Amino acid sequence: MDRPIDLVGLLAAGHHPAAGAVVLFSGEVRERNNGREVAFLEYEAHVPLAEKMIGEILAEAKERWNLSVSIAQHRVGRVEIGETAVVVITASPHRGEAYAASRHIIDRIKHEAPIWKCEHYQDGTKEWGNNCNCQAVTGDAAKHIYE
Amino acid sequence: MTIHVYAGLKDYFQPEFELTEEVGNIDQLKACLLAINDQAAKLLAACRFAVADGFIDSTYKFKAHEIVIVVPPSSGG
Repeated sequence: MDRPIDLVGLLAAGHHPAAGAVVLFSGEVRERNNGREVAFLEYEAHVPLAEKMIGEILAEAKERWNLSVSIAQHRVGRVEIGETAVVVITASPHRGEAYAASRHIIDRIKHEAPIWKCEHYQDGTKEWGNNCNCQAVTGDAAKHIYE
Repeated sequence: MTIHVYAGLKDYFQPEFELTEEVGNIDQLKACLLAINDQAAKLLAACRFAVADGFIDSTYKFKAHEIVIVVPPSSGG
């Protein structure tokens, strides 16, 4: 989405009568990265593929952890310092499943979804960065190692 | 065949361009792209490829006039 993410509104959608735990992860833009002053980030995506892939990731996690709710949204375009770039909400009867699923979903989005981050620095330079480099280890751009 | 590239690949190619050569599969497409700009070799080696229906692998046979998306390693989040 190309506008700020409404965390409070999304959190409201995370409540479910079967869920005793709701976990909200917000990935936010920080002002320094690798010792450099960041001005803002710009995200590019192949939106149809990214939406399809995120939908599949959410469905797989919902099935695997028996989640009551699974939601994820990712920004595209310019995202300012302190703003949310990506949000994941999971809800389940108990907290363990909600935490585990949240971690799994954000890891897969970062490694697999066709979304790219360009860091714009305070000195006026920019860099496409922090790409998934699993291919160097797995030998296959479609195989990933999660944290 | 129409090629769409994203992110860091745009340092090496136009975001969208046409290939007039006969290209049957991913390996042949990589060779065509390297012929255009061999400085993209390292990044291309890490790329995935997709068509309208989703990601494809090396066994996929391109159709005529297909739109192919060259997908660099993800860096979302």
